[in-house]
Amino acid sequence: MTDLWPRIEGLIRQAGRSIERPARYLNHEWGCTYKPEAGYRFCMTYPDTYELGQANQAVRILCNCVNAVDGMAAERAFLPAADMCDLMRKEGVPAFSLESCAPISEFDAVGITLPHELAATNVLEFLDLAGIAVRACDRGEDDPMIFAGGPCAFNAEPYAPFFDAIMLGEGEEMLPELLELHRDMKSKGVSRADMLHEMAKMRGVYVPSLYDVLDEQEAQRRGGWTVPRFDDVPSLIEKRLWDGFAESDAYEPMVVPYTEVIHDRFNVEVLRGCTRGCRFCQAGMMYRPVRERSADNIVSAVCRGLAETGYDEVSLTSLSSTDHSQIEQILRRLNRVLEGKGISVSIPSQRLDSFGVEMAELVAGGKRGGLTFAPEAGTQRLRDVINKGVTEDDLFGAIDAAFSAGWRRCKLYFMIGLPTETDDDIKGIASLAQRAYDRAKKAVPENQRGNVRVSISCALFVPKAQTPFQWDGQIAPEEAQRRIDLLRRSVKYRAVDVHWHEPDVSLVEAMMSRGGREVADVVEAAWRSGARFDAWTEHFSLERWREACEACGVSMEGIAQATYDTDYIPPWSHLSAGLFVKFLQRERKLAQQEKTTPDCTFDHCSACGVCMGLDTAIQTQEVRHG
Amino acid sequence: MADFRLRVTYRMSGRLVMLSHLEVARALERIVRRADLPYAISQGFSPHMKMAFGAALPVGVGGDEEIFDVQLDEYVAPDRALARLRAASSADLMPYDARYITKDTAAASVAYPFSTYRAVLALDGAEQDAAALAAAVAACGVPEEITVVRKKKEKTLVVSEFLAGDMARDADSLTFTLEAKKTGSLRPDVLLDAMLEGTGLRIVSVMRIRQAERL
Repeated sequence: MTDLWPRIEGLIRQAGRSIERPARYLNHEWGCTYKPEAGYRFCMTYPDTYELGQANQAVRILCNCVNAVDGMAAERAFLPAADMCDLMRKEGVPAFSLESCAPISEFDAVGITLPHELAATNVLEFLDLAGIAVRACDRGEDDPMIFAGGPCAFNAEPYAPFFDAIMLGEGEEMLPELLELHRDMKSKGVSRADMLHEMAKMRGVYVPSLYDVLDEQEAQRRGGWTVPRFDDVPSLIEKRLWDGFAESDAYEPMVVPYTEVIHDRFNVEVLRGCTRGCRFCQAGMMYRPVRERSADNIVSAVCRGLAETGYDEVSLTSLSSTDHSQIEQILRRLNRVLEGKGISVSIPSQRLDSFGVEMAELVAGGKRGGLTFAPEAGTQRLRDVINKGVTEDDLFGAIDAAFSAGWRRCKLYFMIGLPTETDDDIKGIASLAQRAYDRAKKAVPENQRGNVRVSISCALFVPKAQTPFQWDGQIAPEEAQRRIDLLRRSVKYRAVDVHWHEPDVSLVEAMMSRGGREVADVVEAAWRSGARFDAWTEHFSLERWREACEACGVSMEGIAQATYDTDYIPPWSHLSAGLFVKFLQRERKLAQQEKTTPDCTFDHCSACGVCMGLDTAIQTQEVRHG
Repeated sequence: MADFRLRVTYRMSGRLVMLSHLEVARALERIVRRADLPYAISQGFSPHMKMAFGAALPVGVGGDEEIFDVQLDEYVAPDRALARLRAASSADLMPYDARYITKDTAAASVAYPFSTYRAVLALDGAEQDAAALAAAVAACGVPEEITVVRKKKEKTLVVSEFLAGDMARDADSLTFTLEAKKTGSLRPDVLLDAMLEGTGLRIVSVMRIRQAERL
């Protein structure tokens, strides 16, 4: 492969201080894997800068999985920051991988994870910088295969034309299988078209070019938006699940970055899946069922990981780590073994209802920074609508425990614009946060009360595909702003701050989340007019997206804000996270009736369809107590 | 508790010269952890490793004799400590000496006020022409003053106050010593930028080749 390093080094040297953070482009970190002899080469890409992508678990896990295959090498690639993209274009240097510093176009296959709705234009920026046609239909026999996966694959349509194949679900087994199939066919000289046809028959793999898309009316009449072009290509693509998760080694080798990245710590994934059943939550629907790793496995992975990486912090990651049936035992054992080493143990998100006094003492060792809780809604009525399943007493209990145990700051996370929300619910947010502040103050010695801070952080509800709220529209940005203003006016305490995400950004997120294949044209038009790094406030421009929509004849508001009956067939109905449509419909109906559904790991089965449909089961280590 | 201060000398070279001082500091701390040395931890709200770093290098400048100090709770023979550190380090950030220092030894950050740098240069558009390169190196002058912006304020530095000794030139490089003052320093990259401006010369590499207590 071509080594671009001399050119990259020259660019950085000549640009001097005008290129930010050259450490993004260096490679040579501790823990990299080099397999120069491997005949088949895969490049795992995160479509944003190094400091966001290097922390991504999909990049870490999937590189390890592919490197474990004989004769296969996986390298990492990230989108260079805007300053570097511009300089590289100007100097004619293509996008490169880290380990070999090789042009992306020289790889056999490229995998791009789709982590959130605002990364779409970055995908195009990356492909274009690599000199690869942005649309799959324009790629030739010698181009690498461009694959996608990740959360946004569950409504792949707005990305469909840009990828040769899209993987649904967990990639630990699926990705190596797909690459082996590709390697095998490539060595036999099979044509690109025939390779894609074969890939489309693999479980969990969606090859968009093999499906025709119908118009809305026809789609509703026929019960689906896509029609396979061949009889042997499935009409419904179901996610893949990695059944070996719970039993597998929790130690996952990790590259240790030089420059500071987000979540800059050693991570151990303690469990996968969450069935609390929050009705807005795509992750909760997507990663089912719940699978826990054992305490022994987790503790030994933490010790080994810290020794091999040199990190001073470890995070026990999952969607809901405090729900692990052995979490207290795990924290107790870790605190004992790590005592006196200046190492802290953190948990990314604490559920209100499982954060008691014990937990407060066990988390974070000596370090007590901020703590985040997510009540999501300000009133019990609305929390029941979204099936959040926590009460005010849960919040106050958690606040008492945390502030007595030494915490002084707490962030409360809420959503604005949830289905059925009224002004009373907004005022409820202010009231809840203020009462939380009162409780926090009471739990703290008098001379420290001045340090107590509670902040409210709110974001606009974005309806997500594959959730019970997929049929619910988003409120307009102007209405969102009115509700934010109402919230700000309702907060009377100076020690309670209000922060919010820009509603403009959430509007584009909603379009990307719910759009059909026509939105891909919008993505390309937006990118061609300069959109990239849309998740970065300083780069985002709603105007550019509006113009792109207009040019393509697509109504952004129509896609984002329309509310449908549950018999409406959404554009992603051919892609399945394994949930019964009946389940999503029932959950949406229960939401409207303000009725909750219990977590199936504590209570009875909620018949979501995953265990039955994917022939799997919940795996907990001990009995969970809700 | 016993108090052992280990001073480690390392070389920072290759690609890793592009790291910032903070990035190097973090990397060195992780090396000490990976080496599993019995490092001391500070007491207090946010416990951290007791460590001190040498004078910062600008991004793009490497070093042959860089130092850091780490405090240990237990004695580990210096050669054993060094072997463990080396096994935990990348090739471009590699310790090669470790020895204990006494309490009266100056802190790593101020131990060596005199830094000698060597900049290897190339001439744009005349990569094969050694004579032209040597002539350009010989011709590039040292400015009397350099204006820098610090904290949004302009400041004029008189080069002779910082430049200790002569500017040595050979066919493709410049070697010079800068003195760090309590009131401020002249960065080697800033001096080089000022010298090379408009000459067609560009930097291939810059290394701090020596650090000394006195000239």
